[in-house]
Amino acid sequence: MTAPYTELHCHSAYSFLDGVSQPDELAQRAAELGYEALALTDHNSVSGSMELAQAAPSCGLRAIHGAEVDLIAPGGPSADGTPPVPGVLPPASGSGRADGGGIAVPAGTAGQGEPATRHLTLLVRDARGWRNLCRILTHAHAGTREGSGRERSEPAVDLGTVLDHAEGLVCLTGCATRGVHDEPTVRRLLEVFGPENMRVELQRPYARRDRARNRALEGLARRLGVSCVASGDVHAHDSRRAELQDAFVALRHRTTLDASEPLRRGNHSHVMASPAAMAARFAEHPGAVRESVRLAEELRFELTSELGYSYPYAEDPGAMRRLAELCQARLHERYGPAAAPGGRAVPAAAFAQAAGRLEEELGIIDGLGLGGFFLLHHELLALAREIAREVRGTDRPSALLAPGRGRGSSVSSIVCYLTGLSHIDPIANGLLIGRFLHTGLEHLPDIDLDFPRDIREVLIPRIHERYGADRSALVAAFPTFRARGAIRELGKVLGLPAAEIEHAARAAEHHWGQAGEHGVGIAPRDPSLARSPRWVWLQRLVAEAQRLPRHLSQHSGGMVLATRPLIDCCPVVPAAMEGRQMVQWDKDSCADAGLLKIDLLGLGMLSAVERCVDLIAEARGQVVDLSRIPYDDPETFRSIRRADTVGVFQIESRAQMQSLKRTQPRDLDDLTIQVAIVRPGPIQGGAVNPYIERRQRLREDPGYAIPYPHPSLEPVLAPTLGTVIFQDQVMEVARAFAGFDDREAEGLRRAMSRKRSQEALEGHRERFLAGARAHVGADEPTALAVWEMVSGFAGFGFPKAHGAAFGLLAYQSAWLREHHGPEFLCALLNEQPMGFYAPDSLVHEAEGRGIPLLPVDVNASAADCTVEDGGVRLGLGYVKGAAADDVKALVAERARGGPFRSAGELAARCGAARATLERLAWAGACDGIVEGAAEPEAGQGTGEHSRRRRRLALWQMGIAAPGRPTADGTQLALPLELPSAPRLRSLSRWEKLLADYAATGVTVGDHVMAALRPRLTAHRLATSAQLARLPQGCAVSVAGLVIARQRPGTAGGTMFLLFEDEWGTINLIVPRVVYERHRPLARAEPLLLAHGRLERSAGETVRSLREADAERVPPVLNVVVRELLALEGFIAFEDTPAPARVHRLPRRPSEAAGGDDGADTDDAAALGAGLRAVAPPVQSFAAGRRR
Amino acid sequence: MLGQPRCVRVRAGAHGVPLEVDRRRVEAVRESWLIEDRWWTGRPLRRRYWEVLDAGGRNIVVFHDLASGEWFGQMG
Repeated sequence: MTAPYTELHCHSAYSFLDGVSQPDELAQRAAELGYEALALTDHNSVSGSMELAQAAPSCGLRAIHGAEVDLIAPGGPSADGTPPVPGVLPPASGSGRADGGGIAVPAGTAGQGEPATRHLTLLVRDARGWRNLCRILTHAHAGTREGSGRERSEPAVDLGTVLDHAEGLVCLTGCATRGVHDEPTVRRLLEVFGPENMRVELQRPYARRDRARNRALEGLARRLGVSCVASGDVHAHDSRRAELQDAFVALRHRTTLDASEPLRRGNHSHVMASPAAMAARFAEHPGAVRESVRLAEELRFELTSELGYSYPYAEDPGAMRRLAELCQARLHERYGPAAAPGGRAVPAAAFAQAAGRLEEELGIIDGLGLGGFFLLHHELLALAREIAREVRGTDRPSALLAPGRGRGSSVSSIVCYLTGLSHIDPIANGLLIGRFLHTGLEHLPDIDLDFPRDIREVLIPRIHERYGADRSALVAAFPTFRARGAIRELGKVLGLPAAEIEHAARAAEHHWGQAGEHGVGIAPRDPSLARSPRWVWLQRLVAEAQRLPRHLSQHSGGMVLATRPLIDCCPVVPAAMEGRQMVQWDKDSCADAGLLKIDLLGLGMLSAVERCVDLIAEARGQVVDLSRIPYDDPETFRSIRRADTVGVFQIESRAQMQSLKRTQPRDLDDLTIQVAIVRPGPIQGGAVNPYIERRQRLREDPGYAIPYPHPSLEPVLAPTLGTVIFQDQVMEVARAFAGFDDREAEGLRRAMSRKRSQEALEGHRERFLAGARAHVGADEPTALAVWEMVSGFAGFGFPKAHGAAFGLLAYQSAWLREHHGPEFLCALLNEQPMGFYAPDSLVHEAEGRGIPLLPVDVNASAADCTVEDGGVRLGLGYVKGAAADDVKALVAERARGGPFRSAGELAARCGAARATLERLAWAGACDGIVEGAAEPEAGQGTGEHSRRRRRLALWQMGIAAPGRPTADGTQLALPLELPSAPRLRSLSRWEKLLADYAATGVTVGDHVMAALRPRLTAHRLATSAQLARLPQGCAVSVAGLVIARQRPGTAGGTMFLLFEDEWGTINLIVPRVVYERHRPLARAEPLLLAHGRLERSAGETVRSLREADAERVPPVLNVVVRELLALEGFIAFEDTPAPARVHRLPRRPSEAAGGDDGADTDDAAALGAGLRAVAPPVQSFAAGRRR
Repeated sequence: MLGQPRCVRVRAGAHGVPLEVDRRRVEAVRESWLIEDRWWTGRPLRRRYWEVLDAGGRNIVVFHDLASGEWFGQMG
């Protein structure tokens, strides 16, 4: 039986804050309610279209595509005196008031400064219509980033543009409150669209003037001779989301629910209802209901098959031949007898193997018609090479390095190796091609390219130039609601007190609870409020909002290219960054659409490695070619096994360090596994501990037999000791164990990499279990166990080839760190932000290895950090608040006129702003040029002396710096003879530390724990240096500065803390119950004291092939925390002599520079507060580094 | 006070359409609308409104409180 009604007006969450359901939720619900088709009409967007097109067929639903566009008002009610339709908003004029019907425009639609636009519903009839819709939407967004700060404005399009692109589209007059209802405009639309493609849209949102409006609209339709069609303006797929829509309306208007009553729909009629209920809702307009079905029948455009997209070279008949020629030529270079870089001979067998592999791959590529695809990638790389020459010149050592490299599975291909896309020899590394290329491939393979940041910045605009601005665009991304943001935004909407919201948000977890509905623990501080309706609603709204897209954003590096204008495939909108544009689809939708997507990723470590190579050349005149360094350097691997890896790519984190001590990597293969192992996929799939244990067992007993769940898995899982660590192993397991063919295995892999992978994976479960029975005769429990391994992996894991590429970079960076320590540190400091540790921690760790950090100095520092006398000189660019132009001018002036001799001279010569000079003095950069402090006074240590200099520098700069700008101009700085300073108290040691943190984020030559240690009243505190000597299981108390806090979703509520003290770092494990008890401390306090128990693995002496080479591995140490306390409660003040007391630092350096020496004696609380304000950012698992 | 709800006696037919308000026969229904609001407070509103003409040609607005089942009139 045919459903009596079809929904032609429906919003998903891609209407951003005006829709609360995902397209697949809408599709599923529509199918349940008995709909046969559903149109998605998001505001000015088709971001959800491909998701609907993918989801609909599997529910037995037909997808109809469209959008509701904002139409710029053509200026007031009609001039010909036609009365506005009663009960209908007239086209809003400047006043935002109706002048005929006497009905006020709802506040916020036109009254609160929002542009007065009206809505039109456009539905796609055919491929031509889709192209026109994409072009209309592109126009609508074209001007949305024109503001000075490129902040986004609302999209809108003029009537002319719509009329110019009418072909293939059906026009509905829009929603009840903001539709186009005035006769002259509807008449114009009708003239162009024609009666076949024009409908007057009737809606019944159960608002007060519905009936009058619909009667009037029916009259209008009759006068014009067009049909009416009923629509529901759906915004939610289910009634349990209805309230969230009200909350979103308030959020969109930046107001509260209490204050937004006029903006809301006032009821929940926006929830999808059954076709029968909708027919009943429009009982007075049965014709309009029938028309919805009739019209839907005509709208037969298939998005998945009628896009008409192709990428450059896709249809070039000569592409395959050119690719084959290119590869053959390179084959001889790489594997031929003349190859042998560094004197190593390539055996003839390897050449034969490589030639065979090439032939096989070229055959597959030809069969798939992908010759042009590879040629295009090769061309992009050539473009990058060209850019590298421009950006860097050819004389720097980094010019030797290729400007980009492949990551991901493409690295496993010999074609990619020969065309320069990959740097990993697939023959030598035993990489199989299957995951990347196989005859059953249904989608374009992924090629991800990593570039140093400087190259990438130039490459993206250059690609726009090369392939046409209209034929290339970035891929979109949709950041989703996260617990904290949702609590803050929805809490405000509910009108909860700001302080309470903030408290609840901070206490909430980064990760959504797995438990579903009420997984996010949200609680007010006063527990009696927890049951109040608003708090209960906050809990529920936050849970409903989870995973909904919040706004349109730019993907980190994905680009799509096309042979014809992209705006014929998908709307293109300006991105936040000048000169960049993106399609409205994210990576999943682009892949589903078959768009060629190239990931151009900026990789900080690539840039750092290049900087390092250049620094080595500058400092030592030595040219390092990273592709020819020894890949089996014993010192490098020894450091890696000792987990001496701070700063090393990928294996520097707390978790990686602990793992390194256990896995004991010995070669690049081991590193390939190592970089892949601490990932959600292997962790959730239960691979990590078995792998580590089996490695240990194998070291002790080389005859140890690896247990496999089933013998058929041995060939697949042997390299990873019976565990699934690489993404490609999932596919190989599916083939070997469950008999999947290439296409099915590829489907499984794609399911894993999607946003909601678990749901997608479930679709493959039955086939897998049945296949395991049929293919290898596995029994039920074994089949289930292997499925658990595979489906558990879904989180995220590396393909093996990606592991190889990253493992190589990890090795290269470890080698540089080992042999060129100062240059490596310097490069890391100049490439921030990157990596796991903040600069402060990198510096402290390097100091521990004998690499000194030299403080920032106006007479010695460049803008960047530099290598100086075997140490690293902090750059002036590290001084927060010092303007980059001022710093550049200062360095140039010093090069021209020699060093600065006084504060006055500095101020006069370099012409920097007062703020910059003050920041420099505050950072200690002027300590060397203060006058009147040349010699240490008797009885003062050098530390005291330098602190006195800092105080003097601040005072002198306060006088010498130019005045602040006033209406009459700025008083220029004169090279004044400075008056001698009054007798100023030195900065205390603590003040200097805080000043360093505030000014540069890096403390030089001192540590907060060293400064505090003499005053600590807590007894028997163990330092990081002492821990290694304490026995397993002993009770221990430790204190330190928190440099990392992580609570990974995979750890079942356990938190990991990393303390730093003056000797090194301490690992702490905070069990869930302890964490719950001390949550605010654990999450935010920079200085902590922990009581707990020491857990140590016995340090092992690793036997090596040569006994003389035996090495002692430091034990893995963890403090399992029983109690956490703020360290500030354990600092003595009473008995300390007055001059050493800690003083509160003034807020601004200028206050201190003014000589305000008011000795407001302080206490530990103030001390703690001072540090909290300036503490260095801390690594946190989900959010990167933050304070 | 104008707009202050007062209890009225309503006899309703199928789908809740008012047939009689305070014993006066309803001649015609002009509009009907729905309010579901203030759900986030302790006193949520769920009301079905009817604007009707009585036999005397007077315009009356009544609503049915869907939570309590009571009827109220809003305009005198």
